Amino acid sequence: MKRIAGVAFSLIIAVVLSAHVGSPDVVFDGNAGPYPVRVIVRPPEVVPGLADVVVRTDAHDVQRVVIRPVFWRAGVAGAPAGDTMHRVSAQDSLYTGQLWLMAYGSYSVYVTITGARGTGTVIVPVASFATGRLPLSRGLTAVLVVLGVLLIAGLLTIIRAASGESLVPPGEVFDAARRRRANLVTAIGAPVVALLVFGGARWWNAEDNAYRRNMYRPPAVYPTVSVDSAHRTLTLLVRDTAAFRAIFVPIIPDHGKMMHLFLVAMPRMDAFAHLHPIKSDTGAAMTFTTQLPGLSAGHYRLFGDITLENGLSLTVTDTITVPDQKGAVAASDSDDAWTLTYKVTRAAPGAVLPLDERYSMEWSGGQTPLVAHQPVDLKFTVRDKTNGAVVPLQPYMGMAAHAVVVRNDASVFIHLHPMGTVSTAAQQIFAARDAGDTTAGGHLGAGALDGALTPSPGMPPMSMSGALTFPYEFPEPGLYRIWVQVKPRGRVLTGTFDMDVH
Amino acid sequence: MATTVRTATPATPATPATPATPAIPPAAAPASVGARATGGAPARWHAYTVVFAAACVMIGVYWDISWHMSIGRDTFWTPAHLLIQAGGLIAGISSGYVALKTTFYGTEPERNAAVGFWGFRAPLGAWICIWGCGAMLTSAPFDNWWHNAYGLDVRIISPPHAVLAIGIFSIVLGALLLTLAQQNRAPDTERGRLAWVLALTGGFFLMNFAVFLTEYSQKQRMHSALFYGVVAATFPFALTALARAIKLRWAATAAAAFFTGIMLLLMWTIQLFPATPKLGPIYQHITHMLGLSFPLLIIVPAVGIDLVLHWLDGRVRAMVLALCAAVVFVGTFAAVQWPFGTFLVTSPLARGSLFNADNYVYWMPPAFQAMMQHFPPPPTGAFPLWVHAIITVAVATVACALGLGRGDWMRRVRR
Repeated sequence: MKRIAGVAFSLIIAVVLSAHVGSPDVVFDGNAGPYPVRVIVRPPEVVPGLADVVVRTDAHDVQRVVIRPVFWRAGVAGAPAGDTMHRVSAQDSLYTGQLWLMAYGSYSVYVTITGARGTGTVIVPVASFATGRLPLSRGLTAVLVVLGVLLIAGLLTIIRAASGESLVPPGEVFDAARRRRANLVTAIGAPVVALLVFGGARWWNAEDNAYRRNMYRPPAVYPTVSVDSAHRTLTLLVRDTAAFRAIFVPIIPDHGKMMHLFLVAMPRMDAFAHLHPIKSDTGAAMTFTTQLPGLSAGHYRLFGDITLENGLSLTVTDTITVPDQKGAVAASDSDDAWTLTYKVTRAAPGAVLPLDERYSMEWSGGQTPLVAHQPVDLKFTVRDKTNGAVVPLQPYMGMAAHAVVVRNDASVFIHLHPMGTVSTAAQQIFAARDAGDTTAGGHLGAGALDGALTPSPGMPPMSMSGALTFPYEFPEPGLYRIWVQVKPRGRVLTGTFDMDVH
Repeated sequence: MATTVRTATPATPATPATPATPAIPPAAAPASVGARATGGAPARWHAYTVVFAAACVMIGVYWDISWHMSIGRDTFWTPAHLLIQAGGLIAGISSGYVALKTTFYGTEPERNAAVGFWGFRAPLGAWICIWGCGAMLTSAPFDNWWHNAYGLDVRIISPPHAVLAIGIFSIVLGALLLTLAQQNRAPDTERGRLAWVLALTGGFFLMNFAVFLTEYSQKQRMHSALFYGVVAATFPFALTALARAIKLRWAATAAAAFFTGIMLLLMWTIQLFPATPKLGPIYQHITHMLGLSFPLLIIVPAVGIDLVLHWLDGRVRAMVLALCAAVVFVGTFAAVQWPFGTFLVTSPLARGSLFNADNYVYWMPPAFQAMMQHFPPPPTGAFPLWVHAIITVAVATVACALGLGRGDWMRRVRR
């Protein structure tokens, strides 16, 4: 029974997963040249399909916004001419458009803004996979059934007429003998027509099955936890499943790490870790290893973010059981951070959460109530408790902050930055490919991503202010928890808030 | 080419053993078959209108495929779609008008040259056109849902496209039958023009088969058993049916000539129009509309089928006739298409607007371009050539037998 439940769960996961978990929409906040811009890309559930693109800019001198879909292998040279976006509202400077994503894999939407201050372009990476299956609505089913019955009845009538009355010379009578013959042919034709309809249905089923086989499934992860006198070591074996191949180019570091691994204690979500396993290859599979410091024993859901050389960001997920800690455990990576949540603050205007004895984190606005399927700004301010001043932050892996949002049933997971949901490395990969930094085989050349930890020319300089904004769009209503990680004084601190999304 | 009008009577006349009492005086019958001169018989304008509609549909289909190969992005309102829809509607609405007029206001000759359908009356071809229009309309919401459910297709053959193709096929068949009924009723002196219109419609009829088989008739397949099997299952049927039905001495040849001419004209003309892909990834930087590949050389076996019918029709049993036609079809077709396939695949002279062997779709990766200039190796475990030849001839024999049978029926259609 447990196995069946496991299989059922796997199937559900297979349907809802994309580059992140249950959160396919892409949000980017930054600059396109001199123009501040917020880009939201809602990828289609089927490929080839239409992605909805929304661009909002506060600049008042924008004349034109153009979007282009760029496939990683073909690059800008193989992209169609851009489409000018439709301006929805002159006051809000809101632009909408649609783009066809035709192939499976890694795309980027290039947003080019032209205005009084020249032209600026920003790259927004998007995963393009079939993730959903459209059911046939009752209304359409009824229409098709009625039309189908009419067509079949009409076809049988035509067969009868073709084998009978149509052969009677004008003026002659369609006599009983001819009628009998026509009826006989129709009687023979009816099962043939039925067979054709049945064959059509079988064909449809075969197409549907082929489509399901091509739907996105995340790579599999096989976790093992080993314990000795002083360590708890988590080893992850990552590889494509037979059902779907997504990893067909090497993994590259994002924010300098080959994997960003998040562990969330389930079901209470009262322990959280952001770790960076070390990668080693074993044959076709990749092995990632990390120590498990500081976490209490229990069941955890793991989410491992990896970025591929084609710009695709993937998340692998599974559950593990962490045993009691033995001895003193050191972190594997200096940027590893974890927290045990003793106090959770509900996200509401003015809600304040102490981070340690000196700093606090305040939920500083954003739309309330939070509503799914709409762009929201999740705003936080890190303050000094003694004087209330906003605290300057040190970069934590190149970012002012990292945030992780998980729905309470773990059906949604997203790794956010102040620039949104996109991977910096993926942006830089597309920029490197445009610059021609690829080998004959289409792989990135050596050194193509040197300086990958620094913002690309199209990106804004990261704000290291303690006033943080995470742009996001919740995929569905529910209870969510957000962990916000900041580094105010050489040490990573984590603020934990609960959010009720309507 | 001789254009003698064939006047032979059908091999199996439909006249019943016991003559029925005519509903109109016999003296009126000759006048009633004279169409325009009759003042009441089924109007020939309708047959010509539906032939025009069939032309619109088939040219629209060609244009649409070219659009998908060259531009990619389409909507319901592309000119190619509009042409297809216009063709379907012209055929459906004109046939609906004829049905209503014949049923409620029809003259006696018109009603006598019609068949009953759920209480209404119209010629058989009109009902097939109305049915085809209905199938095309049905395919529209089905195809729209299909795109939303499984993605915009870049394939010609899918279930909703099959429904559309059946609808389109019905429009062409309806045009053929409406004109055939006119031909079969017309006096000898009036059959010439009708027969040529029929040959033109037969060209669109053959085009239907060619378009639906596009994915199986690419040049790289021209040395494969599947290609010859698929061609043998379809074109012999169509050619023998047309040869039997159309009252021209070289009916199959004429229809195949129209088919070849239409395909070549469209292929050469459409390439004159500039176009660039509007979908990506783009691997082939196209600057003009792509034509479909050079038409299959079925005109050669069409001549062969006409000759076989000239020599053997009525002298040998039906299955022997079908076997002879099949052997000639497969032999002559393979004799010309095999080396022509070699030319298309390997010769640089084939690449260019004349033979159009380099009509690479925009989404074809460069690695495939080199592959397109070689034939794939035969699959492992393939039968020897003579086995495939026997299978292909057997398939063609069945197709010829069915085609000859359908041709007989088509010659007998009077309404």
